[in-house]
Amino acid sequence: MPPDASALLTASGIDAGYGTMQVLWGVDLDVRPGETVLLLGANGAGKTTFLKSLVGLIEVRQGAITLAGRDVTRLTSSARMRLGMTYMSELAVFPDLSIEENIRVGAQALGHANPDARADELYGLFPVLREKRRAPASSLSGGQRKMLGIAKALAAEPKLLVMDEPSAGLSPLFVKEVIRILSDLQGRGLALLIAEQNIGFLDIATRVFVLEGGRIRFSGTVAEMTDNDALRRAYFGLK
Amino acid sequence: MLYPLIAGILFGLYFSLVGIGLNLVFGVMRIVNLAHGDFLMLGAFVAFGVVSLAALDPLFAVPLAFVVFLVVGLVLYRLLVPRLQRAKDPEMLSIILFFGLSQVIEAVMTIGFGTSERSLPSRELGRSLAALRVRLFGGTVDSGPVEILGQSFPAPWLAAAITSLIAIALVYLYLYRSRLGTLTRAVMSRRDEALATGIDVHRVSAAAFGIGLGLAAISGVFAPFMFGSFTPAFGVDATVTSFVVVVLGSLGNPLGTALGGVIYGVSYMFVQTYLSSWADLLPYVLLIAILLLRPSGLLGRRVRVA
Repeated sequence: MPPDASALLTASGIDAGYGTMQVLWGVDLDVRPGETVLLLGANGAGKTTFLKSLVGLIEVRQGAITLAGRDVTRLTSSARMRLGMTYMSELAVFPDLSIEENIRVGAQALGHANPDARADELYGLFPVLREKRRAPASSLSGGQRKMLGIAKALAAEPKLLVMDEPSAGLSPLFVKEVIRILSDLQGRGLALLIAEQNIGFLDIATRVFVLEGGRIRFSGTVAEMTDNDALRRAYFGLK
Repeated sequence: MLYPLIAGILFGLYFSLVGIGLNLVFGVMRIVNLAHGDFLMLGAFVAFGVVSLAALDPLFAVPLAFVVFLVVGLVLYRLLVPRLQRAKDPEMLSIILFFGLSQVIEAVMTIGFGTSERSLPSRELGRSLAALRVRLFGGTVDSGPVEILGQSFPAPWLAAAITSLIAIALVYLYLYRSRLGTLTRAVMSRRDEALATGIDVHRVSAAAFGIGLGLAAISGVFAPFMFGSFTPAFGVDATVTSFVVVVLGSLGNPLGTALGGVIYGVSYMFVQTYLSSWADLLPYVLLIAILLLRPSGLLGRRVRVA
C-alpha cells in the first residue's frame, strides 16, 4: 500500500513476530490527523504485537512505518515517541510510583519542558487523580489506573495516542467513562488508534480495521463494517 | 552487650554501602553483578595508591574512586549490557558474564600486585580533616579511638559509617528528588512499561550501573580499615557479603539495603563477640534463613525474579 501523504501514521506491509514465530503478515494501516481508528480483533489476533511494532517495542521484520511523513521504522521507541506518538499499554502505570510521579514520568521521559504545569492541566481532565495525587498508583482501582494510564500517555502532549485494550478488566460503567474521556480527547483534535475487542468503541471510531490471524481482514468506515454480513455475525452476534 | 550493638551499627552502615550499589544495579537492570566485590577490591587499591603514591589522606580516594568507577561503569555498560539484554535469558547470562569478569579482574590484579596482604595505618584516614580542625579550632591531632556511649571504637569505623550515611542519603536524593532518579524508579517498578512510556532505558541503566560501581569502589576505600587488610582475592568474600545484605533488605530495593546492612552488621558483631569461631558461617546462615523464611526480603513486596 503506498503511504497516504495526508496520514499522520502509516504502516505498510508490516511483518513482525517473536523468535521463530511470525505473528503479523503484511499489515497495512493508517491514521489521519485528528481521527479515531479502531483496530478490532479477538485474543491472539496480533493487535498488541502490531501496536508494539508501531511504537518500536518489537522489531519490524519487513515493511515500513512513517510518522508525520518521516520514516521511523528503524528508530527506537523513545525516538518515535518524541515525534508525537505515545503508547498506553495494558499495564498502563508504574504501581510503585505516586500518581503525580506517573504523570511527571510520562512528560519527562519525552523531554516535556514543564511536567508540573502539564500535570496540573491533566488533573483538570481527571479530577479524581488530583485528589489522590500523592498516593501510589497501586492503590487505585482498575478504572482509575486506566485513567492514570491515559493521563500518563497524554503528559507529553502527543499528536497520536496508541492504546492497547483500554477496556480490559473494566466494568461496563468504567468502559463508558473511558469512552467518554476518549470522545472528549477526540474533540480536542487528538488522533487515536485503539486496539480493542469491545465493540462499544465503535461509537467514537471514524474508521475500523479488523485483524484476524495476523492479517488485516477488513478496513473501512463503521457503516461499511456493519454492512458486512460476516463481520456483523462475528462482532455483533447478529444473524 | 553495648559494644557489639554499637560496633554492629557502625559496621552495618558500612555494609549498607557495600551492598547498595549491587542492589541499585539489580533493581534497574535485573542483572546480577557477580564482579561487584571486585570493584570494591579495586576501590581498596585506589585508597592504597592515594596513600602510597601521593601520600594523601585516603579520604581523597573517596571522590576519586567514585568518579573513576562511575566512568568505568558507563563504558562497561555500553560494551556489555545491551548485548546481554538481547540474549534469551539475560539474567542467567549475566551471572556467567560477570563471574568471568570477576575472575579476570582478580587475575589481572594478582599478576600486577601479587597475593600478599596489604594494609593501611588507621591514623592515615581523616588526617587532613583533623589537621583542618586543628588549624581552625586549635588543639592537637588525635588519631586515637573515638568514644560512643562510653565505648571505644577505631576512628575509621565511625568515618566509614558517616560516609555510608552520606552515600545512602545521596542515593535517596538521587532516586526521589532528581529527574533521572524518578525515571530510574520507573524502570525499577516496571521495565516493560518504562520502554512503553518512551523512557530511554539504556541511559537510565547506564547511569545506575556507573553509580553502582562507584559506590562499590567507595566502600572499597574503607575496606583496609574495616577488615585490617586486603588482597586481590578479597572480591569474592565481598560479593557474598553484599548479596546477604541485599537479600536481607530486599533485592531490587536499594534503600532496603540500609536495613539489611544494619541487621547483618549487628549479627556479625554479636557472633564475633560471643561465638567467634562461627563468624565465617554467618553470611551463609543468614542467606539461607531469609530465603526460607521471607524470600522477598524484609522490605520486599514482590517475589524475587532472579
